[in-house]
Parts: sequence; structure tokens; C-alpha cells
Amino acid sequence: MKMKKSFNGFDFLQNNLVPLMFIIICVICYPLADLSPGHLLNEIVNRMGRNIFLILSLLIPIMAGMGLNFGMTLGAMAGQIALIFVTDWQIWGIPGVVLAMLLSIPLSVLLGLMCGKLMNMAKGREMILGYMMNYFVGGLYQLVVLFLMGSVIPIIHASVRLPRGFGIRTTVNLTSMRQCLDNLIAPRPYGVKIPVLNFIIIAVLCLFIIWFRRTKLGQDMRAVGQDMEVARAAGINVDRTRIISIIISTVFAGFGQIIYLQNLGNFATYTAHTQTGMFCIAALLVGGASVEKASIGNVFLGVILFHTMFIVAPRAGIAITGDAMIGEYFRVFVSYGVITLALVMYEIKKRRAKSQGGALLAQAQKEGGVQA
Amino acid sequence: MKKKALLIRLAAVALCVALGAVMMVVGRGHTIYLDNKTIEDYQGQEYKSFERVNITVPGEDEVIKLAKRERDMATCMGQSFHMTVEVIEKKGDEPRVEEIDLKLPYNMDGIIVNLPALLAGLPEEAWMTEFIPAPEPEDSSEEEPNIGDEFGMGEDLGMEGDAVA
Repeated sequence: MKMKKSFNGFDFLQNNLVPLMFIIICVICYPLADLSPGHLLNEIVNRMGRNIFLILSLLIPIMAGMGLNFGMTLGAMAGQIALIFVTDWQIWGIPGVVLAMLLSIPLSVLLGLMCGKLMNMAKGREMILGYMMNYFVGGLYQLVVLFLMGSVIPIIHASVRLPRGFGIRTTVNLTSMRQCLDNLIAPRPYGVKIPVLNFIIIAVLCLFIIWFRRTKLGQDMRAVGQDMEVARAAGINVDRTRIISIIISTVFAGFGQIIYLQNLGNFATYTAHTQTGMFCIAALLVGGASVEKASIGNVFLGVILFHTMFIVAPRAGIAITGDAMIGEYFRVFVSYGVITLALVMYEIKKRRAKSQGGALLAQAQKEGGVQA
Repeated sequence: MKKKALLIRLAAVALCVALGAVMMVVGRGHTIYLDNKTIEDYQGQEYKSFERVNITVPGEDEVIKLAKRERDMATCMGQSFHMTVEVIEKKGDEPRVEEIDLKLPYNMDGIIVNLPALLAGLPEEAWMTEFIPAPEPEDSSEEEPNIGDEFGMGEDLGMEGDAVA
């Protein structure tokens, strides 16, 4: 028999504080920004098409109990290296995007494997480890891109190389593949461009995630995510399962970064990946996800709310203070703030659950003692 | 069971490699420079530029129109290039329409096609040359990307002890 849960306003508020906060911010900022609904919708749909894939790549490590994968930036770096090669080889359009994705796979697998192995050595501290890994691998990325490309790794075109003969220019031009996915099937009902192919790719990834949850490996990941010791006792190879989840996430992050950058049409070679993890994680948390639980619905809601705020905040900043930079500061402040808030709330919830568990145990022992 | 898994993995890798190879061929981009210029001396013969040439390339929005001694360009993905050429050889002549298919060499990014030589049926070396862009003036501002000092400490890391002294 199903137990009917009574509605608790405090619990609802506590569980949905971040999305509610963002809805309020967007509702206040939208009239101040003075944007037409068509323009706003166009921007949101465009950003959904280019960002959702990246954010979906965060779901599998959360399922495996590894928290928010700050190490997804490693996949973004792999995607960027693949794009540099494809640009240099002059492979254009959708074949260029597909080739970049294929080239990014071995790099992402290698980086994901390294990240997963290190995370297994620091269980319970995966997020901070992933964050620091970004800096470490970021240094390696700079070494490869700034010194090895053009000197050891052949780079043919002068338009990609730095004038000194080795290293990659600060901006890589992706004009030959700019919005090739977005524009392939792009109906414009009421002036709103819908990148259908991007949404088809996103739908395929969503279906993959739903299917994957039901597979043996997916079930193992959920078991590991709930309790590692119990999972180990049940015969699951915990370390291997965790490594696979990080590898899958890194590979998808590489694909996501390629989809993201083909939409923009160029990328800053040395800095494009630095904020990827931060903004994706912030968007996921804005959608109501937590460190231990996230769904596809959280991804979609998060992208809509986070990017609505991104679009309206600078213009609202101009309307309120006359300075667009206020809006820029505001959205960066909110991005970092929302991650902090989510982490604090996660810790509070964990402690509360622990103390409630302790109280229940004490009560049970007391009752047992009275009966005896 | 292990052998089957290994075979599946090898097949997946082979599929990825094959797909990559196909993408490298079908996605190879070329820029075609179409010249309507006189070839003055090819084996002792002159091939004069046409009065007017109109070129239609599938996928390009506009028709390329070339007067005497003019050049324009089209882009092409893959190793074959198709165009419809409408030629008026001399003033007052009736236009002649020709469908042309070219096989493009993989290793050339920019390819110059001389139309008078091509339409005269000369061999490939007479009408096809590689376009080599002039070297760009060096931009010293891009010599060293500004990276590596995210904490803004400059050269003073406060580790030498001079500040304390």
C-alpha cells in the first residue's frame, strides 16, 4: 500500500530554494531589461541547444555518488585539442564536427581514466580533487598547445600557428564549421530559430542516460552511489564502476564542448575551457539538483533559468545603475554563490539526517531497554 | 566471453577509425579561385580570356560573374567540384553552357582554376595551380599569450624574504 505524503511547505522551500530564487530574480529583471519576448525566447533556445549536452555529461558521476564532476573541464580540453587539429587539417562542416568528436574520444578516455583513478584514491573528496585536477591538466594543456604544437606535433597552417612558428594562436577560428549543426535543420516559427539537430542529439543523449540507468552497469553505479560498502559486499567492483562513470562523463563533456564551440564559431585557445565546469555545475544546481541527486529535468530547468538570468541581468544592470558591468558582476557572483549555497545546504542536510538517525537509534534503544 | 567482448571492442575502434577516414575525405575543404585570365604562352599558344563568364556552383547563393581578367572564388567540401559555366567568348557571341566536374587534389587548400585553359581542354597542369597566400605581417601582440599568472602576483611571489627584511 502506498503511503500518502502530506505537503510540507518548509521541506518544499528547502528543496527548491535555488530555483525559486532564480525565478524571482528573472521575474524582477525581465521588465527592467526591456527585451521583446521573441528575442528572449530566441536567445534561450539557442543557449539550450549549445549548453544542454555539456550539462547532461554531469549526471552519470552524480549517479555514481561522485558529486559534481568539476573534472569535466578535462573533456572540454580534449574537445578543444581535437578542434585545433580539425581546423588545421581543413575539415569543414558536420564532417569536421564528427571528426573532432572522434579525435576527442581517446584523449577524453585517457584523461577520464587518470581522473577516475585519482578520485578513487581520495574517496569523499572528489569535487575538490576534480577542481584541482583542472589546474594540473590545464598546465599540461598549455604545455602541449603552447610549445609542442608546431614544434613536435605538426601544425601545417600559419593561420593556426603563432607567428613565431610554434604554439597555437590565442583564438582559433571555426568559421568553416560555425553553427553547421544548428543550421542544418532550423525552422523559424514566429522568428524563433530552433536548432532541431542539436535537440535531436540532446534527445539521443537523454534516452541513452535513461537506458543506461536500467543496465547492469547503471544499477551498479546507483548502488555504489548509495553506499559503497554495501555495493562492495554485494560483489560490485566499486573502483572500476567509479572510473567508468568519470570516463563516460569526460567523453560526453568533450562532445559537449565541441557542440558548444561550433555554435560560437571561434574559441580562446588558452581560456575557453576554464569556466566550462563552473557554469555547467551552476546551471545544474539552479535547476534544483543537489550534490547527490540530479535528473534530466533539473538540466533543462537549470539551463532555462540560468541563461534567462544571463541574458536579462546585464540589461537590467544598465537600467538600474547605468552600467552593464554591474549585470556582468552580478551573474558571476550568482554563479559562484549558487554553488556555495548548494554545497552548504548539502552539508546541512547530511548533518541533519545523521543527527535524526542518531536520535531514532537512541529512542529505539531506550524503548528496547524499557521493554527488557 | 572475454574473446567476444574483445572482438566487439576492436570492431568499435575499427568503426571509429573508418568513420574518421570517411569524414577526412568528405569534409576536406577547398577554396577554388576561378580565373578568367589570358594564358599567354602554353606550348607556344595563347589562350585568351573570355568576354564574360557566369558560373553557378551548387550550394552558393549567388552566380559568380567574371569579366575579362577577373578572379572570384567558391568553396567546396570533398574531392569533387561541380559547376555550370556560361561563356560568352567575344562580344556579340551567343552564350555557350558547359557542365564541368573537377577532381580536386587532397593536399591543396586553395586551387586556382584558369577557365580559358580548362575550357580549351588543356591538361591539368595548364589550368590548375596551387594558391599560396602571401605571408601575413607579424603581429607581435600575439607572440606570447597572456597566461600563467592567474593570481596576479607578477614576479614577486613573496618567497625571497626581502619584503620581511
